[in-house]
Amino acid sequence: MDPVLKVSDIKQYLYCPRIIYFTYVLPVEKKTTPKMEVGKEEHLKTARLEGRRRLRTYGLTEGKRFFNTYLFSPRLGLEGVLDMYITVPRGSFPVDFKNTCRLAVNHKYQLLAYALLLEDWLGRPVRGGFIYLIPLGRAVYVEATPEARLYTKRLLGAIRGLIEREQFPAVPRRAGRCADCEYRNYCGDVG
Amino acid sequence: MYFLADDERKQLLRYYLPKARELGVAEELRGWNWHQPPLEPVYGAVLALYEVAGKYCSSGRDVFLRRVHGIKGEPNLAMIQGAVLHEILADLLVTAKRAIYLHGAENYRAICETLEKYTPAVSPQFASLSDAEAADLCRKVEILCSFEKARVLSRLQEMLTRHPYIGEDSLANLTIPVVVEQKLNGAFLGLSGSLSTDAFIFSEPMILDLKFGEPRDFHRLGTTGYALVMEALYEFPVNLGCIVYGEFRGDRLIVKRDIHIISDELRQWFIEERDEKARFVAEEIDPGLAGDCPSTCPFYQVCCAGG
Repeated sequence: MDPVLKVSDIKQYLYCPRIIYFTYVLPVEKKTTPKMEVGKEEHLKTARLEGRRRLRTYGLTEGKRFFNTYLFSPRLGLEGVLDMYITVPRGSFPVDFKNTCRLAVNHKYQLLAYALLLEDWLGRPVRGGFIYLIPLGRAVYVEATPEARLYTKRLLGAIRGLIEREQFPAVPRRAGRCADCEYRNYCGDVG
Repeated sequence: MYFLADDERKQLLRYYLPKARELGVAEELRGWNWHQPPLEPVYGAVLALYEVAGKYCSSGRDVFLRRVHGIKGEPNLAMIQGAVLHEILADLLVTAKRAIYLHGAENYRAICETLEKYTPAVSPQFASLSDAEAADLCRKVEILCSFEKARVLSRLQEMLTRHPYIGEDSLANLTIPVVVEQKLNGAFLGLSGSLSTDAFIFSEPMILDLKFGEPRDFHRLGTTGYALVMEALYEFPVNLGCIVYGEFRGDRLIVKRDIHIISDELRQWFIEERDEKARFVAEEIDPGLAGDCPSTCPFYQVCCAGG
């Protein structure tokens, strides 16, 4: 049976497929890096502040916020805890908090996976969502286009394929990412 | 073939253009970031754009055979027909431009005459066709030429009626606002140094690709590849692509256009394909048979001769 994947697996897979290998195929002990600690703290702080803010950052007016919602879709075989979603009369929008100044591709598909999950959860179409860039205090809208939805599902397929084949992936294209990777000690072929 | 119809132009202006600007593209997937991952080529292998974008062989063995073993496949009928029709369309448009420059707006009758008299040269590719195939292709060439001549003439007349003081350079540009067979150097992205797009519109940067076969989802990879190369070379965003499908139905030419946004997804897909195929070549890895090999595949005899 296919394993239930986590939304964060998409982000990790795009960052470096070896993380998926070390998570599912050859589970190893990992250390929490300082970067992760800071990120966690910033997340909590942002969530606390968000509760008191208006929705102007998202270009919305009246709406309700829901924090840290556990979402699971048996259809997609996917689960995750969504930082926040906003429900307004014209629909719902997932929001993912990121402690970064620029929108990276892996963040985009992580958000889209949340959008797919939320859609199944609510039983209503979700047209897109927001990535909240914490240091800038700015939200970037990401539309769930048909192409983007397909690609997100393709990514889930690719992750499952990697787990099934149990094949150690090649060195990622962006080798600079290894510097602060929690699995660095387990990769013998990176500098 | 490359001129949009009114409804398509409306769709382009009211939907695709604003949508492309609104959606945006991840900075790392813009062609001008060719010097850093993920666009930076991982392997030294140089591929033609059609090798990356063509997924007629689903395993990519065609690229392996061509690049590693130096085997040249036998072009099939569709490929020969496509090549001839492409060549003729480009030739016709260049002939029209040349006539405009030669005669000028004042002698527009001579331009019309040149175009009306245009007969394409017989391509050497006809030699490999049977009599029936050659006759069929001749018929298609004729249909294509008469369609395109009428389109160009109509645009020429329109421009002449609208701009009384027009000079030949402007007339040529407004009548045929595309560059055909634009040569591009794809080296920045690990692609061949002499690529050429079927057509390119500069006014709103849009890559045009002409096809005479069945629409396939991976056709968009071609426009995506050219868009990335254009961005790498000229450092301006190319957000749109359009695949022009020509289909001959009886003595009619049916034209369908697939306008699309060169999205993050297409860009990612293109890079993945490039890296995978470059790996086959650089590491000399045989990806194996595709499993769904059509008998028309240029490498069918090599891969499935015993089967």
